[in-house]
Amino acid sequence: MASTSKDVPAVVIQDNPPDDLEPGACHDSILNPTDSFEEFASEMSSSLQERNISLATKSSTISEIQSEIGENSAPMKPTKSSDDLQTKDESISASTSNSNLTEQNGDDTDTEKDDYLQSPELVNKEKHVFILSSAGKPIYSRYGNEDKLAGLCGVIQALVSVVEEQNQDILRSISTNDCKAVFLVKGPLILVAVSKSDESETQLVLQLTYAFNQIVSVLTLTQLNRIFEQRRNYDLRRLLSGAERLIDHLLIFMEKDPAFLLGAVRCLPLPEKARENITNAIQTTCNKIRDLVFAIMLAGNQLITLVRMKKYTLHPSDIHLLFNLVRSSESFKTAESWTPICLPKFDSTGFLHGHVSYISEDCQACLLLLTVQRDAFFPLSQAKHTIADKLRRSNCLVAINDALNRNEELPTTNPLKHIGIPEIRHFMYKCKSTAQLFTSDPISLDKLQDYRLRHKEGGDIMEKKVEKLSDIDYVRNYRKFCSSIHCTSTPAKLIFRSNSCDTILAWVTNGFELYVTFDPLMEKDQAIKAVDRLLKWIKKEEQRIFIMHAPTF
Amino acid sequence: MSSRKKALLKVIILGDSGVGKTSLMNQFVNKKFSNQYKATIGADFLTKEVIVDDRIVTMQIWDTAGQERFQSLGVAFYRGADCCVLVFDVTAPNTFKSLESWRDEFLIQASPRDPDNFPFVILGNKIDLDNRAVSAKRAQQWCQSKNDIPYFETSAKEAVNVELAFQTIARNALAQETEAELYNEFPDQIKLNANDNGRNRDGDNCAC
Ligand SMILES: Nc1nc2c(ncn2[C@@H]2O[C@H](COP(=O)(O)OP(=O)(O)O)[C@@H](O)[C@H]2O)c(=O)[nH]1
Ligand SMILES: [Mg+2]
Repeated sequence: MASTSKDVPAVVIQDNPPDDLEPGACHDSILNPTDSFEEFASEMSSSLQERNISLATKSSTISEIQSEIGENSAPMKPTKSSDDLQTKDESISASTSNSNLTEQNGDDTDTEKDDYLQSPELVNKEKHVFILSSAGKPIYSRYGNEDKLAGLCGVIQALVSVVEEQNQDILRSISTNDCKAVFLVKGPLILVAVSKSDESETQLVLQLTYAFNQIVSVLTLTQLNRIFEQRRNYDLRRLLSGAERLIDHLLIFMEKDPAFLLGAVRCLPLPEKARENITNAIQTTCNKIRDLVFAIMLAGNQLITLVRMKKYTLHPSDIHLLFNLVRSSESFKTAESWTPICLPKFDSTGFLHGHVSYISEDCQACLLLLTVQRDAFFPLSQAKHTIADKLRRSNCLVAINDALNRNEELPTTNPLKHIGIPEIRHFMYKCKSTAQLFTSDPISLDKLQDYRLRHKEGGDIMEKKVEKLSDIDYVRNYRKFCSSIHCTSTPAKLIFRSNSCDTILAWVTNGFELYVTFDPLMEKDQAIKAVDRLLKWIKKEEQRIFIMHAPTF
Repeated sequence: MSSRKKALLKVIILGDSGVGKTSLMNQFVNKKFSNQYKATIGADFLTKEVIVDDRIVTMQIWDTAGQERFQSLGVAFYRGADCCVLVFDVTAPNTFKSLESWRDEFLIQASPRDPDNFPFVILGNKIDLDNRAVSAKRAQQWCQSKNDIPYFETSAKEAVNVELAFQTIARNALAQETEAELYNEFPDQIKLNANDNGRNRDGDNCAC
């Protein structure tokens, strides 16, 4: 095992953030800076009443845009004054209502259990996710057949309701020796993760929140709420058919990519000039298209560029949903698509309309043009072709392909070799102000390919040890450090842990978060020196690694 | 769409303690009852797949825990039910008289959209016993007076009419669902969005 938590002597020292800007920081950001844990911090501390109002109608950004571009002649007044989720954290900590039940262990000798729960497709999974309606009807199960889990869903609904109605409290989690169940009630849905992994309760809540947002992204929150207001017995699977696949992918994606853990977005490393050209091509082409809100180019779950309407930025979690959509939709590869997309953080009440297409057959970059205009397919299709031509002429497609194919000559392909600090095995760095992420061993496209193969299979708990750790394994090891650093009561600034397996340093400042794995038994001074060199390298390469501009139309 | 063929129904069984609710469920699902969750959450669940007009229907049957009148789940238990089965014991007139209040209780707690047409089914159970005290006629009359609720005489013990009763329950609940579907309460995603926009514009008009 790479690390056991027992031998973690956490050293906490004061940090002195450097005076100049940290690597990757710039004055304008295309993304909302986030603390990935802020959301569940507020989720976890909200009381029952707060929860009930938190999903009330927010003002609509989309109608705001529509009115600004003159789509509607008079300015829109939202019907209800906004109870913005962001402002919600101010009202937190009112009550620490925590029903953390501990197992009383079913000593009922009722041996006749539901057989299906013991079937091979369900037992021995590392993590289950169940989604059900507040009537107790199954909507989604990561494994198995949710119809056959109707009994289990009834039990879940009853558990949640008993705590709610009898104790006026919220059921957050149930822990047993080797397993925890985490519950999240969101609007008309109940989401549950049952996990044997070492992920913390908050990390699991984050994943459930994402799963919820994925559903909102397909339906909008307005529609989701309306459906269940009208018919509480509604079988939501009927509206979500096809979206199940999106949730499947998202759950795997979240386990593999640290971007979720850190609430940050990976960028495709590109020469500064190439990225500038791409951005320019989009800007000049789309300048005149009034209704365009975002133009986003991405490849392999990495952001290439994002051009936006003035005033509007995107939340990393919305970008993650777009990555996931593109990643899990084969059909985008074969045809230009026109699809409604709700970005829950941006505006959960309505759809944006997206023109989605791959740039060309020989380049796996995908372009999303998101507008508030319902019938803009043809102008956007036109724009796409113009952009593609420009990119080809300016050799940008080659630059993108080089980065995607991890051309050996690029410094970012094999950063550790390039930096020349042999004792560093792995690192991940998040620039907080821009919510962007860079890791030493970015998940390659082929590794992500097995998403599809693993669909509904795999996920079993593995006993075997791996010889060479991958990005995913390192990230798994960082999880608990990440939890301590984001712990709301006693957050750590710097954690250094050294043992005979490896040495891990986790460091958070105002500007960045850094997680590094070194060889075993490193001294602290030595590690800090190495980190210093590492930061210098990131600073030197920042223009390539990160998106340092926040272009608008 | 293949998912159109699948359906899941939430079925609630109500009636005084001892009338044979749990036994009926067991008979239908063909299982020795486990009482797995009753003590902790005041309810228990059984599921069974049935085929109705070549649709696969999963029945999720909710049973109360012993102390029927004080069952702890309250509204949550009834929320979003597709069908309600009311059971009485043909040898115990009191349990028959209670039907009225069980029905009311359900309608209050579940507050279905269209209470008059909500699918109930009444089961007069234990017809295998000799000491019958509620006649079929009396029961039928009451059912007729309540908007023609279907009535079945059953014996959980001897498996009389149990299968038929549950088939009817599934069929009636499904009929309700398809009816609602015809009215198309939820336009599909894209249309809904169109409605949203429309509504925004309306909003504008009002604001003017
Ligand atoms: N003779 C006879 N006894 C029955 C029948 N159904 C249930 N019982 C008995 O009635 C008692 C109460 O049944 P139970 O299913 O626990 O009723 P519940 O309280 O409504 O769930 C038990 O002793 C059963 O064996 C039936 O159809 N015929
Ligand atoms: Mg019973």
